[in-house]
Amino acid sequence: MFHYLLKRLAFMGLTILAVSGLTFFLMNIIPGGTAELILKHTVLELEEIPTSEQIAEISSQYNLHDPLYIQFGRWLADALHGDLGSSYILKKPVTYLLLLRLPATIYLALASMTIAIALGVPLGVICAVKENKFTDYLLRIVTLVGVSMPGFWLALLLILLFSVTLKLVPVAGYGGIKYLILPAIALSMHTMAVTLRMVRTGMLEVMNQPYIAFATSKGLPPRYIIIKHALKNALLPTLTVLGLSLGYMLGGAVVIETIFAWPGVGSLLVDAITARDIPLVQGCVLTIVGIFVTINLFVDLIYTYVDPRIRYG
Amino acid sequence: MALLEVSHLDVGFNTQLGSVQAVNDVSFQIKKGETLGLIGESGSGKSVIGMSLLRLLPMNACVKGEAFFEGKDLLTMKEKDLQKIRGERISFIPQNPTASLNPLLKNGLQVSEVFERKGHSKENSWKSALKVMERLMIRDPGLSAKKYPHQLSGGMRQRLVAGIALSLQPELVIADEPTKGLDSLTRGKTIEFFKHLEGDEDRAMLLITHDLDLAYEICDRLAVLYAGEIVEMGPAGELMDLPSHPYTRGLIKSLPKNGLIPLEGRSPSLLELPGGCYFGERCCHHKKECSCKHPQLKNSGAWQTRCHLN
Repeated sequence: MFHYLLKRLAFMGLTILAVSGLTFFLMNIIPGGTAELILKHTVLELEEIPTSEQIAEISSQYNLHDPLYIQFGRWLADALHGDLGSSYILKKPVTYLLLLRLPATIYLALASMTIAIALGVPLGVICAVKENKFTDYLLRIVTLVGVSMPGFWLALLLILLFSVTLKLVPVAGYGGIKYLILPAIALSMHTMAVTLRMVRTGMLEVMNQPYIAFATSKGLPPRYIIIKHALKNALLPTLTVLGLSLGYMLGGAVVIETIFAWPGVGSLLVDAITARDIPLVQGCVLTIVGIFVTINLFVDLIYTYVDPRIRYG
Repeated sequence: MALLEVSHLDVGFNTQLGSVQAVNDVSFQIKKGETLGLIGESGSGKSVIGMSLLRLLPMNACVKGEAFFEGKDLLTMKEKDLQKIRGERISFIPQNPTASLNPLLKNGLQVSEVFERKGHSKENSWKSALKVMERLMIRDPGLSAKKYPHQLSGGMRQRLVAGIALSLQPELVIADEPTKGLDSLTRGKTIEFFKHLEGDEDRAMLLITHDLDLAYEICDRLAVLYAGEIVEMGPAGELMDLPSHPYTRGLIKSLPKNGLIPLEGRSPSLLELPGGCYFGERCCHHKKECSCKHPQLKNSGAWQTRCHLN
C-alpha cells in the first residue's frame, strides 16, 4: 500500500509538471505579444496601440525577454517554494486570488454533485426495475437530452425561463441560496444523466448475476435485494465516473461560472487567459489539475473500502 | 400425496436467434423425504427445470405447465406468496457457489439475513448464522463470518451456500450440480454431506447433476433428460444397473469405471429439433420409425421410457 501510494504521488507530480509546462508554452505561442496585452488591460484602453518604449519597459519589468525555458524555470522554482507570483493585471498574489475564488467553486461543485447523485442514483434504479416500460423510456429520453445538451445552452434556457419570464431567481451573481439554484442545476445535468445511465446499466447487469438469483431463492424481499445486494455492486463502476465529474466541476466549470458571473476559479481562469495574465493562468491550471488528480487518487483509495476484493500492492 | 407434482412443464427462452425450447413437457413427482435425481448432459435442461420451480429464471424465459407444491401452483401463485415459500419451505443450492455469493457482503450477513427476514433480531440472527457455519465444519466461524466470500476456500464456499439453503429446514431442497467444478477431495466431502442430508426422513430433494456416481449413491429415483425431455425415469438402482433407453445405456458406458466409452455425436440444437426421436441420429438401434415419429413416454409400473424399441 505504501509503495503504491508513493508511486501514485510521483505520477501525480509528473502530471502536474507536464500540464503546467504545456500551459506555459501554449500561453506564450498564442499570437499577440504578452507585454502589449498587459498594457491594454492596465494603463491603456483596448483600442490604443502601445508605443515601443512602453512595451520595452513592461517586458523588462516582467523579464519577458528571457527565453521561455528560463521564464518557466523561474516560475517553477518559485512555485516549488510555494510562491505562485503576482497577477500582472490585478497586481495581487496569485495564491491570494485563488483562495478568494475557491470557496465559490467548491460551493457550486458540491451543490451540483449532490443534485446529480440524489437524482441520478434512484432514477437509475427505477429505470432498471422498470426496464423497457414507459417510465424507463421516458427517463432515458430525458437522460439523452441531458447528455447531449451543451451546458451553456441549458444555462441560457434556465435563465430565460426561471429568471427572465417567471422572475423566480436572479439571472446571475453570487450570494444566498437563490443565486445557487440555476448554476447548480445547469452544472449537474450532465453528471446526473451519466450517473443515471451508469446505474441503470450496472443494475441490469447485476440483476442477472447468480448471487441475485440465490438471494431471491432465500426468500428475501425484492426491495431488500435491490438495495442491499444489487445497488452496492452496481455503484462500483459509477464511482469512477462520479470522481471524474467532481474533478471537472471543481476545476473546469469554466463555462457555467462565466455565464452566471459566478466568482469561482473557472471564471478567474477565463479572465486571466483573455488578459494574458500568465502567472494567474498558471496558478489556476495548477489548482485545477491538482484537485483533479487528488480526487482521482481518493476515488481509487475509496475502492479498497467499498470492494473488499481490491488490494493495492 | 406427492409433495411436489410437476406436470407438462415447458420452458422456452426468447432469444435473438428465435425461441429456444429448453424444457419440453416434463412431468414428475417428488414424495415427502424422497430424493429424485435429474441427470443428463450439459444443455439438457436440468438446471432450467430447477430454477423454473422457484421462478428464478431471467425475464426472457417463458414457463408453461403446472408445479403443485402442497396443492398450490408455484408457477402461477402471487410473488408475495412464493416469497414465503422460498428459503423456508423450498430452498435452492445453486451451482457455482463462488458466483452465487455476493462479493461485497460479509459471509455472516449472507447467512444471517435469512433469519432476519423471519423477524429475528439482528443479534440473534448473527448467532444463528454462526451456529449454521459451525455445523458446516467451517473453521473458526466467528472469524470466517466477518470475512468476505473471496477469502474462503472453494470447498468452504460450497458448504456455505448449502448451509444457507438448509438453514431454515426446508421440506424440499433443489440442489443444482453440487459437485460441479470441485476437486476430488472436495467432491468426496460434498457427497458425504449430501448423503448425510438424504438420511433426514422428512426432507425431499431434487438433485440436478451430471455426476452419475453421486446420483446413484444418494437418489431414490432418477430421471434422465435429453434435449429438454425426460427419456427415462425409474428407481435409481435398477435404472443404473439395467437401463432400457439407448441414451441412458450410452451415458452409463461412458463412465470411467465402465470403460470411458464416449457417446458418438452431439445433442441436437434446441433451435431446430429433429422431427422424430431427438436421440435418433446418435442411436445405434436406429429404425425407420425413429426418424419420422416422436416417441411418447411409456409407463410400465414405476418405470417410464421414451423409445420405440421397448
